Amino acid sequence: MRPDLPKIHEIWVYLSGSPLLALILTLTAYQIGVMIYERTRLNPLANPVLIAVTLIAATITALDMPYATYFEGAQFVHFLLGTATVSLAVPIYKGLASLRGRLVPLMAALAGGGVTSIVTAVVIARLLGADETVVGGMYAKSLTAPIAMGVAERIGASPTLTAVFTVTTGILGAALGRFVLDAVRCREWWQRGYAIGVASHGIGTSRAFSVNAEAGAYAGLAMGLHGVIGAVAIPWVLALLR
Amino acid sequence: MIDGLVRILLFQGVGEVIAHFVFPLVPGPVIGLVLLLAFLVWRGGVSDGVELVSSAFMRYLGVLFVPAAVGVVIYWPHLQRQALAIAVALIVSVIATIAVSALLAKWLDRKAPDAP
Repeated sequence: MRPDLPKIHEIWVYLSGSPLLALILTLTAYQIGVMIYERTRLNPLANPVLIAVTLIAATITALDMPYATYFEGAQFVHFLLGTATVSLAVPIYKGLASLRGRLVPLMAALAGGGVTSIVTAVVIARLLGADETVVGGMYAKSLTAPIAMGVAERIGASPTLTAVFTVTTGILGAALGRFVLDAVRCREWWQRGYAIGVASHGIGTSRAFSVNAEAGAYAGLAMGLHGVIGAVAIPWVLALLR
Repeated sequence: MIDGLVRILLFQGVGEVIAHFVFPLVPGPVIGLVLLLAFLVWRGGVSDGVELVSSAFMRYLGVLFVPAAVGVVIYWPHLQRQALAIAVALIVSVIATIAVSALLAKWLDRKAPDAP
């Protein structure tokens, strides 16, 4: 006999109403993601965020838990995005020394890459019949995710779609970057890293670090500068165009 | 660690206030970031507390955008219908962005090898 059996349902009802369940789910799924990522020797396709989102989406769908209920608990993690954005100042500060003597090529590469990222994505998505909700999520996709989501809120785009496109862009850049850079015969580590950082922010940066330290440092610098400059430029330019 | 967190939260708070009243188009945390960056340049270094908090955030940055990204479940039917457009746009865009950035950096570096 299991006299405690009927109570399991009550425990479940109690837990699903408390933020704890969403928190446990979020952190556990991410931990599993990190373990798989490390197992695959940091393969960009085994991205921990992608794995965590897939696991959580499958779990809450199976449990019939509305997204709003999940987010109510997970918002404690979400809230820290702003604080994490502010602390990006530290890696940018450390990267500033790398700007010296290369200011012109680095800023031009950032401006050219940033504009290319938005124009190609928006034009192609529109041409292929994507609606405005989807197109809106494309604008900030090359910025680092915490900043991209802040920008999405300011420009009236969906932070969720922006986050999904941002993570996907990061994974694609990390996976394809090598081939693109070889195709355009870019051989200097600092240029390779920087281009990856401009296009695919944090995910590209961790990839660059795993290949070469100089490439990683420049990728991190590109991610930081693109985040800050993009956050200021994108809403203003869009406001002017609208 | 608490002193670092306090400092970062203060910069975030000031950034949010400035964003709210002065620059409504720029996300508050980004203004906080710029202010903290200016502070670090002015101080000429990073205090241990700020360093500790920042490196913890950088290490676990990914988990912070999981809750919002899970919202993809709401958009799922919507995204499935437009999957091809999204996939082509994202793939071509990232390839073009990397190529343009790399070529500009390469080309301008060669043009101005003695730039200060």
